[in-house]
Amino acid sequence: MIKDISKQIQERFNQKGYTIPDSEIETRLDKLINEFKVPAEEAHRSVVNFFLKEYNIPREDFFPAQGDTPTVQISDIDTDNKWVNIRAKVVQLWDSEHESIDQVGLVGDETGTIKFTKWTRADLPKLVEGKSYLFKNVVTDSYEERFSIKMNRTSQIEDINDDIIEVELVPTVEISDIDTDNKWVNVRAKVAQLWDSEHESIGQVGLIGDQTGTIKFTKWAKSELPALVEGKSYLLKNVVTDSYDGRFSIKMNKTSQIEEVNEDIEIGTTEVEFIGAMVDIQAGSGLIKRCPECNRALIKGVCGEHGKVEGVYDLRIKAVIDDGRSVQDSLLNREISERVTGITLDEAIHMATEALDQSVVIEKIKGEFVGKYYSVSGPKLDRYILVDTITPLGPIENSEIEAIIAQVEV
Amino acid sequence: MASQYTREVSYRIFAQEFRDSNLSFKDGSDQYSPQYLLTPTGAKINRMFIVGTLTEKEDIGTDAEYWRARVVDPTGVFLIYAGQFQPEAARVVAEVESPQYLAIVGKPSTYQTEDGTILTSVRPENIHVVDPATRDRWVVETAQCTMERINNIDSNHPDAVRAKEHYQPDVSIYRKMAFDALKDLNSG
Ligand SMILES: [Zn+2]
Repeated sequence: MIKDISKQIQERFNQKGYTIPDSEIETRLDKLINEFKVPAEEAHRSVVNFFLKEYNIPREDFFPAQGDTPTVQISDIDTDNKWVNIRAKVVQLWDSEHESIDQVGLVGDETGTIKFTKWTRADLPKLVEGKSYLFKNVVTDSYEERFSIKMNRTSQIEDINDDIIEVELVPTVEISDIDTDNKWVNVRAKVAQLWDSEHESIGQVGLIGDQTGTIKFTKWAKSELPALVEGKSYLLKNVVTDSYDGRFSIKMNKTSQIEEVNEDIEIGTTEVEFIGAMVDIQAGSGLIKRCPECNRALIKGVCGEHGKVEGVYDLRIKAVIDDGRSVQDSLLNREISERVTGITLDEAIHMATEALDQSVVIEKIKGEFVGKYYSVSGPKLDRYILVDTITPLGPIENSEIEAIIAQVEV
Repeated sequence: MASQYTREVSYRIFAQEFRDSNLSFKDGSDQYSPQYLLTPTGAKINRMFIVGTLTEKEDIGTDAEYWRARVVDPTGVFLIYAGQFQPEAARVVAEVESPQYLAIVGKPSTYQTEDGTILTSVRPENIHVVDPATRDRWVVETAQCTMERINNIDSNHPDAVRAKEHYQPDVSIYRKMAFDALKDLNSG
């Protein structure tokens, strides 16, 4: 930590044309932080001031004049170590955890909220919850990608209580609007699918949807939130957006809340068709058992939410279709699976009973389907096509081949 | 439901281009990093889908069964090796009589001989018996995929750039290969 701060300080001096040996900076920082237990922020400030004096550097060289500090909105804050002015209302005051901190809490404006820390040594006026202020010359900071502002000795606070600032606490967004990570939002959505959790740290995982589309959700086991049920609609409050590989998702943690809503939210989907070879049928296909409580597929007779339960039989096929350019996961429900395989659920149960082995069903289906070409179509939910039509492709027409030959010849 | 990782695409490569491939590498540095084979037209493959004719098979295992199968397409031969680590695929090879049309999903594998030649083969994930219509469709599709790669070989896509750098391919050879494969179908 000391090395990081030292580097920051040195770079700042460097920018202004002053070279200070980092051993000198580190020694002072070490003394303040490790020997005198001064919080890092304060030590940083103290060391900067020490060297300003030591090298006779004019303060104006270092701290921007007031007029130069930009006045920004909270949602604009996206870098640390920047001097800004903001107009904001004190939304919450929290208990200070250290005597070096005079006040800590949340301020907000029309664009969002941000944590603030006011140092005791800054000697600034007391802030009152619910009142609005102009905060001048405050410094932005970040910790684990979340931004905050710090009020120190160079900061000023002006009362602007006549101006009423509307605070956007957590915005309620539509799913298609989710396009950044690390944002706290509320979402009204229906649970489209529950997937099998692959890790004990995950309570539930699946797909939720609203009129604008669908998005993956992860509910941490530690969140201790109620179980979501497939097909029910909820107001999900205080969830965090996330992204992985360019795909967005939301996470529900301890500070999130789940409220069931008395409305059936319609999920907007797009109908798609995909043509390719079936290259695999995934585990969890064929004859499976579901939890009678939550409809989740059981793994070895166990429901992730309800433990060991008497399962209910179902038939499904999770097919992977691939056209040599991209992969399309396709889900065939009982009805479609029965129709395309010619095996009814009852027959599948009979087959499994005869063989004393549930896997005979998936093996039979694999043998007949994998390696052949199909056209599948249906609504697309996240990465899955919920197949409502599947057609095996017959022999390719000569005319089609000729057309392709003509293209190649060009 | 299904797992949430991104599954590797099953690339379509003719035997001739597969035989010409010799650039194998890992993406990433840990033991779980996937292995890839880059082909002369710039397909970076970790998985492939082949439909061809099984012409020969031989159990070359000493203790356990270890099958080597020759599967041919209009341009050449794929060597398929299936043993105890591919039990389902090995069982199909053991049971099926040649000649027979087979659809194979598998991983490319490379082997360097003493004189430094790199030989390619396929480790199957699954093998299924299919009909002639499926085989014809595969030839058409593979010709199309090959042409798409050839048409992109001068793009700045990293796989194309790397393939050009390593192989300096004469893509007219592969264009002719795709063309002949299609012609062959049409006359047959
Ligand atoms: Zn359950």
